[in-house]
Amino acid sequence: MNIDYALLLALTSLIFSTGCAPKNPLPQNSNYSSYSIDVPFVAPRSELCGSTSIEMLSSYWQSNSSYTPRLSLKELDERTLIPAKGGTLQIELIAATRANALLAYPLEPTFDALFMELKDNHPVIVLVNRGFSWYPLWHYAPVTGYDAKSQTVLMHFGDKPNEAVPIGTFASIWQRSGNWGVVLLPPNELPASASGQKYLRSAYDFEKIGMVDEAIIAYKSALLRWPRDIAILFALGNAYYSTHQISSAEESYRKILLIDKTHPLALNNLADLLCHTNRTEEALKLLDTAVTTDTKIVSIIDATRKEISKGCISMLKN
Amino acid sequence: MKVSKLILSFILSTTLFAQVSFAQIASTEALDLGVVTVSSKEKLVQIISREDVLKRFEELGVDTKIIEARVASMTDEEASIVAHQIDTLPAGADAGMSIVGAIVFVFVVLLITDILGLTKVFNFTKPITNN
Repeated sequence: MNIDYALLLALTSLIFSTGCAPKNPLPQNSNYSSYSIDVPFVAPRSELCGSTSIEMLSSYWQSNSSYTPRLSLKELDERTLIPAKGGTLQIELIAATRANALLAYPLEPTFDALFMELKDNHPVIVLVNRGFSWYPLWHYAPVTGYDAKSQTVLMHFGDKPNEAVPIGTFASIWQRSGNWGVVLLPPNELPASASGQKYLRSAYDFEKIGMVDEAIIAYKSALLRWPRDIAILFALGNAYYSTHQISSAEESYRKILLIDKTHPLALNNLADLLCHTNRTEEALKLLDTAVTTDTKIVSIIDATRKEISKGCISMLKN
Repeated sequence: MKVSKLILSFILSTTLFAQVSFAQIASTEALDLGVVTVSSKEKLVQIISREDVLKRFEELGVDTKIIEARVASMTDEEASIVAHQIDTLPAGADAGMSIVGAIVFVFVVLLITDILGLTKVFNFTKPITNN
């Protein structure tokens, strides 16, 4: 009797020690209401849950905003599947999303962030491990809502649209991916849970792969929420400058100086712009007001000063 | 893991200043966004990373016509992570039952844990919940 009991206990603890879900995984005092987002369902195809998830969200945004997808489902398939791995990497899910002109913003790994997005009608793609760490079965699925009454997470899971997954089960399969989730948003839409810094990084990724127009739209929408964020203003100024939108670039740099009139990088770039628009005197005067002890920035400013005194090629038309 | 971390920190630790299209413009990365940037030294590392990804993708059966476009839509940091960690990164696949080849023990354990609501392997199980 005692031995049986011990054996049972040992077996149970073995099972539970591999990743047990608490009965109620939601943070204490949390009071989430029900959300339901009408996300078009796309039937699953073997190994292609990555591209299928992107497709569902891009058709959602197509019908709920001015967004137009760049890639067809076939192109998404080709860009996400790695045949020998039988699936899609998180990085490629993000890269293909970007190529499809949607911004992929990785969420903080919390229920709070997840529910904040759902509340704003932003469906979230999560990565779950349906098995164990020692027997992983990875799967991407869009979360489409939450039912507070039955405490179930709604998701397009495999061949079941809006499947109601008990919150405990969801928590344990989600936790095995480190609670990984992303929102896919048109660049004029901001994540509900975003921080300025992190959002800027995602937006700047557009620029890094040559999609400057999308980056500019994203910076501009970020400034609606964080109008005095110097980093975002600087990024926008640079993006304008690099695409020869001179007066918009000048405006962005000057906005920074209204907040911090000695900002060395903004002064440097504005001085360069002024020099290229035949305002050498003002350029040199501005450079002298830059305050910094950072040796790298000092050397950039010195180089700019030298460049300006040599004279710049005018970027003005005519 | 350790090697890739080393390489990453090497990339991250090199200069934060890059030249954009004009002589002395400070790039957005000069603001220290915590993002990787391009300097001559690390450019070399990143070119190698991208080539590594191209090569690995080919080995892993990715259609050669699309490989370049796929790598082109990755940022340098992303390409470098893929190049160094592709064997250990998870790849999300389907939601169907994949018990082919799995031994009976695994099947039974997963069945039990499914019913306990700890996993969600099979689509015919309904977890017992205390709700």
